[in-house]
Amino acid sequence: MNKAILSILGQDRPGIVAAVSKVLFEQDCNIENVSQTTLQFVFAGIFIVSMPGNLSSESLRQNLTAELAPLALEVYITLFESTTVPVSPPRSEAYIVTTKGPDRKGLVAGISEVIARFEGNITNLQAVFKGGNDPGDNIMIYEVDVPPQTDQQALYQELKKRAHELALDIDIQHRNIFEAIHRI
Amino acid sequence: MLTQREILSTLEMLKNENLDVRTVTLGINLLDCASHNLEKLTNKIRTRITHYADNLVSVCNHVGQKYGIPVVNKRIAVSPIAAVAAAMSSSQMVAVAQVLDGAAAAVDVDFIGGFSSLVEKGIARGDMALLEAIPHALAETQRVCASVNVASTKAGINMDAVLLMGKAIKQAAHLTAKNDGIACAKLCVFANIPQDMPFMAGAYLGLGEADAVINVGVSGPGVVKNAVERALKSNEQLDLGQISELIKKTAYKVTRVGELIGREVADHLNIRFGVVDLSLAPTPNVGDSVGEIFQSLGLLSIGVPGTTAAMALINDAVKKGGAFASSRVGGLSGAFIPVSEDLNISEAVRKGYIGLEKLEAITAVCSVGLDMIALPGDTTAETIAAIMADEMAIGVINNKTTATRLIPVPGKKAGDSAYFGGLLGQSTIIPVNNGNNPNLFVRRGGLIPAPLQSLTN
Repeated sequence: MNKAILSILGQDRPGIVAAVSKVLFEQDCNIENVSQTTLQFVFAGIFIVSMPGNLSSESLRQNLTAELAPLALEVYITLFESTTVPVSPPRSEAYIVTTKGPDRKGLVAGISEVIARFEGNITNLQAVFKGGNDPGDNIMIYEVDVPPQTDQQALYQELKKRAHELALDIDIQHRNIFEAIHRI
Repeated sequence: MLTQREILSTLEMLKNENLDVRTVTLGINLLDCASHNLEKLTNKIRTRITHYADNLVSVCNHVGQKYGIPVVNKRIAVSPIAAVAAAMSSSQMVAVAQVLDGAAAAVDVDFIGGFSSLVEKGIARGDMALLEAIPHALAETQRVCASVNVASTKAGINMDAVLLMGKAIKQAAHLTAKNDGIACAKLCVFANIPQDMPFMAGAYLGLGEADAVINVGVSGPGVVKNAVERALKSNEQLDLGQISELIKKTAYKVTRVGELIGREVADHLNIRFGVVDLSLAPTPNVGDSVGEIFQSLGLLSIGVPGTTAAMALINDAVKKGGAFASSRVGGLSGAFIPVSEDLNISEAVRKGYIGLEKLEAITAVCSVGLDMIALPGDTTAETIAAIMADEMAIGVINNKTTATRLIPVPGKKAGDSAYFGGLLGQSTIIPVNNGNNPNLFVRRGGLIPAPLQSLTN
C-alpha cells in the first residue's frame, strides 16, 4: 500500500471535491486526510490517500487529469516517501500573531522572517490584503508554535520592531485566551 | 484552528472596548502574626507580606503580556486587622496601618485592604481600637484601605457601629480636608461583606480563607456597551430578553478571561486560585462606563425612570454569564455604580438626572451600594450614619451585599465639584435631604434585629 499526496488547484466551483473523490473511489484509493480552502476565487485542496499496490501514481494522475479536465483543475501527485513520515512535533507554546496596517509588498516576508529566526513554526496563516490604507482591510493572522527554548521577550521585541518598520500594528498573544473566550 | 472572527473580536474587546483584568488581588492570612508586642507584630506582618507578594507584580505583568491583556492593578488583601492586632491600642493600630502601607509600597502594589473589622453583632476590644484608629490610619497612609461590616442578614444591623462609622467618616474627611476628604474614598462600610472580593476599597481576606489566595476582578463595562450597540445596529427590533441573553454571553467571555489569568498567576506564585469576580467596574474614561450602558439600552441617562429595571436586567445577566463561565465565581459579581469613578454617572449627577434617593433605589438590584458619593461638607455624622443604615437595611433584608463609600467634602456644598484624582475621579456634590439636622433615630443605637430571612436553619 503506497501513500500519495494530491494537490488540486483551480477556479472554485461546485463539484470539485465530488469529482476528485469519485476518481479516487473508482481507483480503490482510500482518503486519509483532506484539507481544502478557497482564496478569493481559487480552490486549493490537499488529499493524503493510500493507493492499492497495483496502482501507479502516474496512472492515478492520468485518471484524475482526464476526469478533472472539464473543471480546468490542475493536479499534482507526490508519492509519500517512507523517510517523510513525520516525527512527533516538539513541545511548544501556541501563539497568535495578528497584524493590521496599510498594504505594501514584503509584509508576510518581513514578519515570517522574524518568526523563522526564532525557530517559531507557522502552523496556520490567514492573510487578507484588500489594498489601501484602511488597517482593517489588511490583516495577517499567524498561528505560531514557539519552542520552549526560544527567548520569548526577544521574539516579542523583534516582532514589534519589525512591525514598526513595516508600519503595522501588531499583537502577540497566547492562543489560550482565544480558546477561553470563544470555546466552551 | 481559530477563525478570523474569533481572533478579531477578541482584539476588539481588548483594544477598543477596555476589557482588562482590573485587579489581581493576593489575599494573605496574617492571623498567626498576632502578638502583644507591637514590634513583633509589625515585623511578622512585614515579613509575611513580602514573602508572599514579592513577585506578584512581575508575575502579573508577565502573564498579562503573554495573553495581551493588561492586569491594571495588583493589590493585597489581608486578614481583618481588628483580629490580627486585637491586643493593640488605637494609636498602635495606626502604626500597624503605616507598616501595611510600607509593605505595600515595598512590593509595588497600589492598595492594600484589610484594615477591617466585623462588628455586625457587637464590638470587641480590638474592633473598637480599629474603628477609633480608622481616620488617622487612612489620613496618614497612601495605600491602606479600610472596611467595616456593620450588618448582616444573620445578625441584623449594629446601629452603634453605624453611628461610630458616621463619626469616623466625618473625622477622616476633616483630616484630609485639603484633598476634598479623600481618606473617605478608602473606607467602605458593609452589610454582608464577601470574604473573597478582590475589588478595593472593600477587599479583605476572610477568616474562612487559606494562608494565601489569588482572587481576580475583571471588568468590562465598555465591552457590554459595545456588544449591545453592535447588536442593536444589526437588529433594531431586539427585545429586552434578547439583550439580556447578549449581555449574558458577553459576561461569560469576560469571566473566562479572568479565570485564565487568575489561574496562571496563581500557578506561577504557587498559591491557590480563589475566585473570579466579574463586576462591571467603571473608570473615569469615556467608553469604560456603566452609565453609558443605560443610554445604549435606550434611556436618556442613568437615573431617569426605567433605570432600576435596566439595572436589574444588567446585573442578573452578568451574574448568569459569570456563573456559567466559571464554578469559581465570587466576590460581588455584578455592576458597580461608583459615582465619581464613572464619567457618565458623575455627569448624570451634575445634570440632575440622578440623586441620592434614586442611587439608593438602584442598589437594591445591583451589586454594591452608595459608592464614591460626594456629600456636602456640613452633612452631620448622624445623617451619614442614617444614610448608611438605609443602605445596610437593603442588604440585610434582601440577603445581599450592600456598602457605602461616602465622602462629606469639607467646606463644599451641594452643586460644587469635588476632585479625588486618578481612578477615583471627580463628582458634583449631591444634595442631602435634611442633611445637617439632628437624627434621633440613629442616636438611639442598639441592634436592629436580624430579619425573618435569617431563620433558615
